[in-house]
Amino acid sequence: MDSLSFSSESDEDNLFAEHKKEKKIVFGPGENFRKDIPVLMVRSGEEKHPNDLLLTRMPVPPVCIRPSVVSEVKSGTTEDDVTMKLMEIMLTNDVLRKHKRDGAPNKTLFETWEHLQIQCALYINSEMSGLPPDLQPKRAMRAFTQRLKGKQGRFRGNLCGKRVDFSGRTVISPDPNLRIDQVGVPIHVAMTLTFPEIVNASNIEKMRKLVINGSDVHPGANYLVDKKTGNKKLLKYGKRDELAKNLRMGDTVERHLDDNDVVLFNRQPSLHKISIMSHRAKVMPGRTFRFNECACTPYNADFDGDEMNLHLPQTYEAKAEASELMNVKNNLITPRSGEPLIAAIQDFITGGYLLTHKDTFLPRAEVYRFAAALIDAFAKKQTKIRIPPPAIRYPVELWTGKQLIELIIRPDKGSQVSLNLTTKNKSYTKDLELCSKDSYVIIRNSVLLAGVLDKSLLGSSSKVNIFYMLMRDYGEDAAVDAMWRLARMAPVFLSNRGFSIGIGDVRPSERLLKEKGDLVDNGYEKCAQFIRELNEGKLKAQPGCTEEETLEAIILRELSTIRDHAGQVCLRNLSKYNAPLTMAVCGSKGSFINISQMIACVGQQAISGHRPPDGFEERSLPHFERKKKTPEAKGFVANSFYSGLTPTEFFFHTMGGREGLVDTAVKTAETGYMQRRLVKCLEDLCASYDGTVRSSTGDVIEFVFGEDGLDPSMMEAKDGSVVDFVHVLEHAKNTQKKKKEKIEPIALAKIEEVIKTEIEKKFKGKYTHFAQQTAEFLQSEVKKCKKWENEATSCSKHEKSVGNCKLCNNMQAYKDLLKAQCLTRPQLLSFIQLCYYKVARAITEPGTAVGAIAATSIGEPSTQMTLKTFHFAGVASMNITQGVPRIKEIINAVKTISTPIITAALLDPFDESLARRVKARIEKTTLGEICDYIEEVYLPNDYFLLVKLNSKRIRLLQLEVSMESISYAIIQSKVCPLMRGCKIVAHGKTIMAIRPPSNSKLSKTMTMQMLKYSLANVVVKGISSVNRCVIHADEKKGDYYSLLVEGTDFRSVLSSVGVDPKKTNFNNALVVAEVLGIEAARTCIINEIIATMDAHGIGLDRRHVMLLADVMTYRGEVLGITRNGLVKMKDSVLLLASFEKTMDHLFEAAFFSQRDVIHGVSECIIMGTPMTVGTGTFKLMQKYEKKAVLKKNSPIFKRPELALSL
Amino acid sequence: MADDDDYQDMDNDDFVDDNEMEDVIEEEPQRPEGEEDDDDNVDENFELFDHGKAVPTTEHVTTPFMTKYERARVLGTRALQIAMGAPVMVELEGETDPLEIARKELKQRRIPIIIRRYLPDGSYEDWPTEQLQLADW
Repeated sequence: MDSLSFSSESDEDNLFAEHKKEKKIVFGPGENFRKDIPVLMVRSGEEKHPNDLLLTRMPVPPVCIRPSVVSEVKSGTTEDDVTMKLMEIMLTNDVLRKHKRDGAPNKTLFETWEHLQIQCALYINSEMSGLPPDLQPKRAMRAFTQRLKGKQGRFRGNLCGKRVDFSGRTVISPDPNLRIDQVGVPIHVAMTLTFPEIVNASNIEKMRKLVINGSDVHPGANYLVDKKTGNKKLLKYGKRDELAKNLRMGDTVERHLDDNDVVLFNRQPSLHKISIMSHRAKVMPGRTFRFNECACTPYNADFDGDEMNLHLPQTYEAKAEASELMNVKNNLITPRSGEPLIAAIQDFITGGYLLTHKDTFLPRAEVYRFAAALIDAFAKKQTKIRIPPPAIRYPVELWTGKQLIELIIRPDKGSQVSLNLTTKNKSYTKDLELCSKDSYVIIRNSVLLAGVLDKSLLGSSSKVNIFYMLMRDYGEDAAVDAMWRLARMAPVFLSNRGFSIGIGDVRPSERLLKEKGDLVDNGYEKCAQFIRELNEGKLKAQPGCTEEETLEAIILRELSTIRDHAGQVCLRNLSKYNAPLTMAVCGSKGSFINISQMIACVGQQAISGHRPPDGFEERSLPHFERKKKTPEAKGFVANSFYSGLTPTEFFFHTMGGREGLVDTAVKTAETGYMQRRLVKCLEDLCASYDGTVRSSTGDVIEFVFGEDGLDPSMMEAKDGSVVDFVHVLEHAKNTQKKKKEKIEPIALAKIEEVIKTEIEKKFKGKYTHFAQQTAEFLQSEVKKCKKWENEATSCSKHEKSVGNCKLCNNMQAYKDLLKAQCLTRPQLLSFIQLCYYKVARAITEPGTAVGAIAATSIGEPSTQMTLKTFHFAGVASMNITQGVPRIKEIINAVKTISTPIITAALLDPFDESLARRVKARIEKTTLGEICDYIEEVYLPNDYFLLVKLNSKRIRLLQLEVSMESISYAIIQSKVCPLMRGCKIVAHGKTIMAIRPPSNSKLSKTMTMQMLKYSLANVVVKGISSVNRCVIHADEKKGDYYSLLVEGTDFRSVLSSVGVDPKKTNFNNALVVAEVLGIEAARTCIINEIIATMDAHGIGLDRRHVMLLADVMTYRGEVLGITRNGLVKMKDSVLLLASFEKTMDHLFEAAFFSQRDVIHGVSECIIMGTPMTVGTGTFKLMQKYEKKAVLKKNSPIFKRPELALSL
Repeated sequence: MADDDDYQDMDNDDFVDDNEMEDVIEEEPQRPEGEEDDDDNVDENFELFDHGKAVPTTEHVTTPFMTKYERARVLGTRALQIAMGAPVMVELEGETDPLEIARKELKQRRIPIIIRRYLPDGSYEDWPTEQLQLADW
């Protein structure tokens, strides 16, 4: 109170009072109101007087708000900015008072008074705008506004994010020996980070030991907190034995971090929820944090000097939440697309690939050595590893590498894991398991039967990954353990075999050089041909392009094919032992393009999608002749990195390289901001217990998440549906067969009935759609079994099967084989059971922060997109914005997007002539384009303009114009005001005379001239805002025509005759909302975002985009994810203040005396309260056991049966 | 005899008349029955629903599975109780980590905690942990 009461003692008040007395200066708007009449102001719900809005006393904060720093160098103290400003205010106040006392002239008085006023304003906000230059503060100071706002301000810097204790940061390094969910913590860090463990009966002995060890020995403790007194004792010095002896229940021991403690591990930028995960600690010597390389992908970490942070949760609740929800095991899958993110990388893939090659044979010693790598010395329980029998027994025992995969999937005999998988890998050609590249992978009961394992089976973002399959069928532990075993075995195998790269790997052979030379020569010749055609004027321009642009497009396409072909030549000519090729083929690192750039040809350098521009006068570099358009003068690098670049090629290459660097720098900032906005808008959306998705204020955003209530991270099938039926059936068949061999398949006559009843029994009317899908799949499977039923059991000669007929036996065997393929009852039951479980588990759990997940799922992949890419929409001439700019456009709900394109469907999409007619109706056609000439005619007594239409062209373009329609268009045209009064007379079918209005104020010649020039621009047919309309033929669907219209007039295109309005789309959601309504706008947003993401090859689940679109549209209008849109979506002041325009929102809230209920995520973080998301959606109650009612009993002495006498 | 009476009285006071449940964590003071919980959306100007009503067990609509969030919080709360010396409800086999013990208790359905699930209208369903199915098949 002391410092608060030090308000600047009503100086101003006095001043005003005196002024009022003397000069009647108006106090404020409410000055003349009577104080006793309550004036209802604003929407506070309370009575407020306008006078309350005026500050009459300066609030002065206590010194802890404005600390003074005692400097050691010079004498005195350095005061805070706020103190300085207060001093200035008081000084000015004193001056003012002195002026008044001394009777200074009015002018000085008012100047000082104004100065005081400004000083007071600057005290609140030092960056106030609108000040006269002489009054502007000389030095930037931090007033209260500046303290609150900005990234480092109080809101974002101190309230939404705080500095924490019990954390560490150091360089990371890899360690494949660690488990996937472990992190190696340096012993030094482990002795600094502590956990307050409460002493109880079960851990008291352990705690005693830790106390005795003290703070300098590793599993020790730093402090001991007494339960009763609360005293904290340092355990570095003193009698620790004594303390240990006196340790009591309830004391707290601040023990060192130890093995298997739950720690949080994080790497910035934390773009998605898997950027911070909980690991189990493993204390190790050394100075770096270490973890298994498999966990690199979610953190996006490498080991080139990256640093990461480690946090030690301080309560059991935090520990439990961290280990249950954030554990690496529970986050193998990214919720963005449901694909595994934690999987083998780089060397593990290479190792797995080389190990499973057909020609990998290993002697007993090596097999044992590799198997020994699978032994975990730290495991709780050691298990026996069963080596399969050798594939080759004689003349020498040899195992194939494929046999070792069995050990990785299931090393010990007792394991239940039985993986079944049939899939193609990356380089599959044809003929199933007889594929020439051994690329058809078959795994039966955890045994790899055929195929080599590559990235699609071992690496991330693939749903046929064996670890993913293990996780789905046998749980996270099986997957994580198998991954660890691969991480152990692959490096051992790889370093035993040897795998390195040398100059020989990138040296091209003679043949390769020749082929490449031919390719380049051919390409150059073709380009020269095109240039010649252009110069001769023979080059046919593409629709909507100039001839120059057409040439550029053609040449660019030609040159990019050179590089592609050079890459293919490389592939053909390289040895299969070539290391870069091996890596590219198995997908561990590098691409074919990288190889071909090293060996054959670097290729065309592009700058923002075009050949390098002319930075010099009419040429790209001064080494070339002016206006030269040959490939080498425009950035084509024909050399390879091996052969070396010529100086000009080198310059072009640096230009391309620079663009890449700039691009990354720009896009980080841009996408970071986008992500922040997305998260702020979506953070509080949460699936509630009734299945709806609601915001913290209770607004319903979606009635069911993603229209089906399913969790995107639970989608098992590659196509994004819940269950991969084929795989589950395969799994059910193979696992059930093992147990009961001799069960007959269900008779086909009954099977449909059986399927129906079993599904009914299991699903009980739930998930009807899914149950139906299951049934449909089963029915289709049944059809395959029909073959078995109809197959004859005997050959054509015999009626019944005869034992000694060979043919009969063959037929019988064949039938048995088919029979084995058919469903038995246990298989069917197990299949239905599995399907039911999978779908039941896939329902989004109530409490899931679906909003935050959706926001990060959209924001995170956009950081991987290149900033500006233009993509050709079917036709070369028409390109649409893609990448980050496009996503930004959609999310911001921009009114005028950069490339508006209407995709107009036709009523008859197969009719090409209809397409042409509709095109003519839509595309803007001016009078100038369809007439031969427009001439001025002067006669002695008359003057007019003569227009001759070119009927041939009109017919050719299939324009639906007549003399009447043209005349009407001219009169209605707004091109020139003179046209309104024209008189038009048609002569014949092609000639019309136009007489200018007689009342023109201009001279007659002027009128004629003006008319003549503007007539050519009159739109006679089509939509004036449409510049271009291209007929698009979809090659996939055969002759399937649609129109691509470049323009914004969606309404007119929809209403054009011949256009199918039901299937016509526009890529601007705002216009769609205006024309078709809000639901259409929602669909438009969804489709546009998905299309953009698809174009960049980013897998993104539809449900996330749906949620985003719903948030943007649920208010009935399309709101952008910007500060303007956010204000309309959320009411919370704290949320808005912590976003942008901090002070504006705070002032407004103060003015309207708003209340904040503290429900949302941001508000709860600011206030430090638990939020209503996830573990905060429910409450826990203690259940007391009913205490047994004690019967009244008599003292033992009084009991007669004991006969005790007192 | 007077002593006996006292003993009986104390029994009644402390245990028999007591409410069956109580908040485990003292987040906020106990409110009288029927009053609105401030965890839910209260718009002061209107009230559409009767807030804070318990949904009878027979009319439960929420999932019979324990969500991972419930699981995490139940385990955390229970681990804290165990760490502070609460009696353990299962046979121990050398475990000392309270979280491990809590996991074991949950597996055997012995955690004496009730989950109060709030529906968006403010009503709630009480689910004892042992009635919820664990989803880790």
